[in-house]
Amino acid sequence: MARNDTLHREVEDLIYREATLLDRKKWEEWLDLYAEDAVYWVPAWRSEEETTDDPDTQLNLIYLRNRGGLEDRVFRIESRDSYASVPLDRTVHLVGNVVVGDANGETVAATANCIVHTYGKKGGMTRASLYDYALRRIGGALKIAKKKITFIDDRLEGPIDVYHL
Amino acid sequence: MEGTVFRAPETARLVAMVDDRPAEKVFRVDRSIYTDPEAFEAEIKNIFEGSWIFACHESQVAKPGDYFALDAGRQPVVIWRQPDGDIKGFINACSHRAAILMPYKQGNAKTITCRFHGWTYGSDGGKCLRIKGEDTGYDGAFDRSQYNMKQVPRIGNYRGFVFVSLSADVPALEDFLGATKAWIDLMADQSTEGLEVVPGASSYTIGGNWKMQAENGVDGYHVSTVHRVFASTMSARQSRDNRSGMAQTEAGRIVANVPTASYDLGNGHMAIRALHTTPEVRPIWERRDELKARLPAGKVDWILNHGRNLMLFPNVLLMDNPSTQIRVMKPVAPDRTEVTVYCVAPKGESKQARFARLRKFEDFYLTAGMATSDDVAALEDTYAGSHARYARWNEMVRGWDQTVKGADAEAKKAGFVPVTSNPNWDHEILFHGFYRHWARLIGKTNGTNGKTNGA
Repeated sequence: MARNDTLHREVEDLIYREATLLDRKKWEEWLDLYAEDAVYWVPAWRSEEETTDDPDTQLNLIYLRNRGGLEDRVFRIESRDSYASVPLDRTVHLVGNVVVGDANGETVAATANCIVHTYGKKGGMTRASLYDYALRRIGGALKIAKKKITFIDDRLEGPIDVYHL
Repeated sequence: MEGTVFRAPETARLVAMVDDRPAEKVFRVDRSIYTDPEAFEAEIKNIFEGSWIFACHESQVAKPGDYFALDAGRQPVVIWRQPDGDIKGFINACSHRAAILMPYKQGNAKTITCRFHGWTYGSDGGKCLRIKGEDTGYDGAFDRSQYNMKQVPRIGNYRGFVFVSLSADVPALEDFLGATKAWIDLMADQSTEGLEVVPGASSYTIGGNWKMQAENGVDGYHVSTVHRVFASTMSARQSRDNRSGMAQTEAGRIVANVPTASYDLGNGHMAIRALHTTPEVRPIWERRDELKARLPAGKVDWILNHGRNLMLFPNVLLMDNPSTQIRVMKPVAPDRTEVTVYCVAPKGESKQARFARLRKFEDFYLTAGMATSDDVAALEDTYAGSHARYARWNEMVRGWDQTVKGADAEAKKAGFVPVTSNPNWDHEILFHGFYRHWARLIGKTNGTNGKTNGA
């Protein structure tokens, strides 16, 4: 079956745009990429080889059940009252390996890899994640309905926030 | 070529880092206590490898064969559930060439075969069961029993909390725990079925000294500055989401003027409490009737209404606030501390309570959360500041004149006798007990058992 190039490009644009908005600290525009009921999920590692997989009964690094959870994060960053967020780290996300699944009605799944280079008080640091997206068409535009971030480090170096992931 | 000459740490110099002159109302610590490499080596030897430390919760080794690996100081230790249900501790290194035996941090194994040269040990007593090529290399004179896994000198379990000591020269575990037993009871008594560590954990590294994390866990004074932003974030969330019941996060203790206290519990242990403004949003609230039927009223009041942080010397914090936590510290270097946090919960709680407990934990207690992350940043800054030798001392005198010897009224209700009580969690007198015990262990000579009772 021929690849749906239009959809593929649309998905890639959204994923790259998210990385760009985080690095450029355009928080409101970043939030706008998410559906109101978007789930933002960073599982914890339950062993060296497996992450947690049931937020109802297991611990996660971050588990936000709607966009409000991300708004909390932005509120805290913008308050300038968070010790860990003043001064704010600089970040560069490099997203690649974007694989777009088939569209299923209004939703489409995608995966990607992300390397994030951070610079802050402790100098430069590089971290990596696997992204699993569920995207949904809302009012014509694709929005993020779910983002699962498998953060490969299980010993975190210093504070971690949404822009480090 | 000359060999390295080992010079014993200058004990007197290290002990003098705690300037303790009660008659003159002076208590301060030299900031190099956090940065000094010899102080760190003495801590590894005399404290982390020389006295009781927390190892794990028994639910982490629930079934025979279950194991849990940790480092006691720098020494690899494994807690291994025996076939008869007993819990034993062993050095987690092969008797042959010292390769680490357990491939994972946690797992289950009836026997373990070293992945280096194939020596095999049984969970039952760590016995050496087989060695590869036994009949070909030793002229038939090999005595396997000489090569069993080495058992740790002391292991003890108080109400599910497992402790080990690599020195036999320590007081009985219950004597060491002393007044903290009542605080552990306040967690363990929350379910007749016991507690369980919830799957999933988070480890993080603080670019700072372990004693800073120990202080921070029972420092009520920082809460209204460092965590003010957590309270304002929760308040913004509430006005946006209008959450109800357990889905709300209580931040009242952070900004409100609620009754609080701090305690020097003896043997280096410290604790703080603060009254919950909205206890009905806590996951334990659903059990209030059952608790009241089973436990004395004073204890139930403490469980339901008092947020509690216990710093159990030297390496574990037990916290029962919006959520419930075991926070374990491992000193790696003067400027590096590895922390692992576990959510511990009463067995048998409702699905909604477990869900709420987990979400509150994630909001606050993780370095990817919205409060612990700010603590970590503050501690790393504090470590950097401690290099300021030109300004040498950290004073710990806040609340001196309000110090009460022994128990305050609330302590009597919970049934524990601290060395001192202070009527505010922003007082600093509890730290005296921590640093006095530190100084005794660092200055310890053969024959003393490290048991101290504060002033």
